Amino acid sequence: MSARPDIPVYEVFSQKDALSFATHVGSVRAPSPEMALQLAREAYFRRESAFDIWVIPASSITHGRDFRHTLPSAPETKAYRMPQGYDNGPLWKKFKAHAQTIEDVAKEMSNGRSD
Amino acid sequence: MKNSLEAFVDRIELGEKVEATDWMPDEYRMLLIKQIHMHGISEVMGAYPEREWVSRAPTIQRKLALNAKIQDEIGHGQMLLRLAEDLSSVYGRGREDLMNDVLEGRVKFHNVFHLEAPTWADAGVIGFLVDGGAIITQAMLLNSSYAPYARMLKRIVAEESFHMQLGESEVLALASGNDAQRQMLQEAISRWWPAMMFFFGPRTMGPSAQRMMYFRIRTLDNEELRQRFINRYVPRIRALGMTIPDSDLRQDPSSGRWIYTDPDWDWFSRVVHNNDGPMSGARLALRRQAHDGLSWARQANLYATSEQSRQGGVL
Amino acid sequence: MKHPTTIQITALKSLILAMADDEWMMGDRGATWLALTPDLEEDLAMSSISQDEIGHAALLYTLLEELGEPGADTMVYERGPENWHHAVIAQHPTHSWAEWVVRRYCYEVFDDIRRKALARIPYPPLIASLKKMDAEESYHLLHFRSLMSMLARGGPLSRSYVDTAILADWPLLADLFEWGGRDEAWVLWDAGQLAPSAMRSAFDLVVQRDLIAWELEWPGPVRVADRAARHHDNSKTLPELLQHMREVRHIALAGNW
Repeated sequence: MSARPDIPVYEVFSQKDALSFATHVGSVRAPSPEMALQLAREAYFRRESAFDIWVIPASSITHGRDFRHTLPSAPETKAYRMPQGYDNGPLWKKFKAHAQTIEDVAKEMSNGRSD
Repeated sequence: MKNSLEAFVDRIELGEKVEATDWMPDEYRMLLIKQIHMHGISEVMGAYPEREWVSRAPTIQRKLALNAKIQDEIGHGQMLLRLAEDLSSVYGRGREDLMNDVLEGRVKFHNVFHLEAPTWADAGVIGFLVDGGAIITQAMLLNSSYAPYARMLKRIVAEESFHMQLGESEVLALASGNDAQRQMLQEAISRWWPAMMFFFGPRTMGPSAQRMMYFRIRTLDNEELRQRFINRYVPRIRALGMTIPDSDLRQDPSSGRWIYTDPDWDWFSRVVHNNDGPMSGARLALRRQAHDGLSWARQANLYATSEQSRQGGVL
Repeated sequence: MKHPTTIQITALKSLILAMADDEWMMGDRGATWLALTPDLEEDLAMSSISQDEIGHAALLYTLLEELGEPGADTMVYERGPENWHHAVIAQHPTHSWAEWVVRRYCYEVFDDIRRKALARIPYPPLIASLKKMDAEESYHLLHFRSLMSMLARGGPLSRSYVDTAILADWPLLADLFEWGGRDEAWVLWDAGQLAPSAMRSAFDLVVQRDLIAWELEWPGPVRVADRAARHHDNSKTLPELLQHMREVRHIALAGNW
């Protein structure tokens, strides 16, 4: 053990643009949150921009892997939660109409905006 | 019932990855620390031979690029040290201890960074050959069983691709320069070639390197890495009209394997194990100057912020 | 300034050259801290700052080239020591971290004032360059302010290093505020902020306020330099630095590097 105390660790997260969620990129040692932001900038963003950067004391993070039962796994038996759990196409056909998906709607709406 | 070590190895063999806070066998943790600590410290020590040439870089663009490259290496050191620190926290060891280890000879660094870099061409050849060798090793580690290391290496390899282009650009400029420039380049290649043959380690791997293969921390053996390096760089060096200082170097036509003269294994081992190379002392002195000489400044930062928080303010 | 007069061009050049040389020297000296600052994270920040300064110098030398001067590499690698116009403090070697932090803090405060003053000159290429520099420079000022603030409050040992550094640097600050142009020039541009006395008092104001906030002793206003300042950095270290800087390039001066 060293006689010299260590400088605290901050985990660094970045949000690339306004519509992205923040993602973990690494960590820095810094004496204060503001210094952590100053130092993270040159440690992890020398070649890219960011919409926002978060720094969080590493000691404040709780990992799900330390509490395994809290970790999610994709259920195999809950098809009713999924669009694939429904097969409306043949029925729509009977009523002489087409099935639709949310992707079709989203596409039409974004086309509508940009036109 | 399998014991926990066997179950762990089974999972790794299935391609499962390990995270920092996961349970892991002590041996696995120790091997990771050994590997990542050495890798990180080598990146930091790699800054010293090249920084000698920043102030003398022959154009503004070269000066900027060399600064940026050395900065990346320190950045790699920082990211890797952080990983080694996280792994070492169970032993109560952090940045201060891991940085002290190099000053007290408890962690080794790559043989190449113990050697002299007496001309501008050495800066170029370090970028060309040493970074080239490091890229081969690091690309192999991208599939490491330790996920934080593999993730960080993705980032590191992406930055190394700039180093590769920069090193080649410096070397290409010298190779297309005047006689003095070409001679400088030849001398640097001759100086660095044997060191590069040592760089990948002995033909028969030591016990801990073998255990790293077992745990899939690394995935290729020393000789395989060296063969790939030779295969990639021999044609390039020859294309530049430069000579490789090994008259026995040739490719076996049937196996495709390269036959090469052994570097002076004993000499290089002493250099690495005892910090006994021509520049080991000088480079460690610089590291000591920063780490010990300026520890007061790190402590001052801590003092200032703890005072501040005691007084309830923000800095 | 659609058709600048000869007087204006001369004044403009001397202002830009002084700034370019300051930035070059700060960047080049700053790069000697590579892998030698107190911690790895700080190495990264400091290296970016040095690269920024060298980049700014290159940008400003290019402006001079557009005004008829030689190109950036020629300015850096072939100009005689008598033709450099940086302030003495920019070239002064330093080996002490506290001194470097104090020096850079002072320089960043000064540089901020200077850029704002220069932005009043209606010369679009200069204004565009200043704009490019601003984003990076505001980080520099912030960072050195943070470092100063922490060293000042970093306990008795750190505090004593800072006190010593301030006393060592203070006499060297004077010629930062001088420039080679004729005094009438800023009247032509309606840029009274460019007058050395105006820049000096703006600097004194900011620094005095900061030092008091950090509970450091303010050594008083910066002394007035004689007007020949910035024309000659007579120190022995300048020719040594230039020779060292040029050692490689001079192996093949006309060559490809």
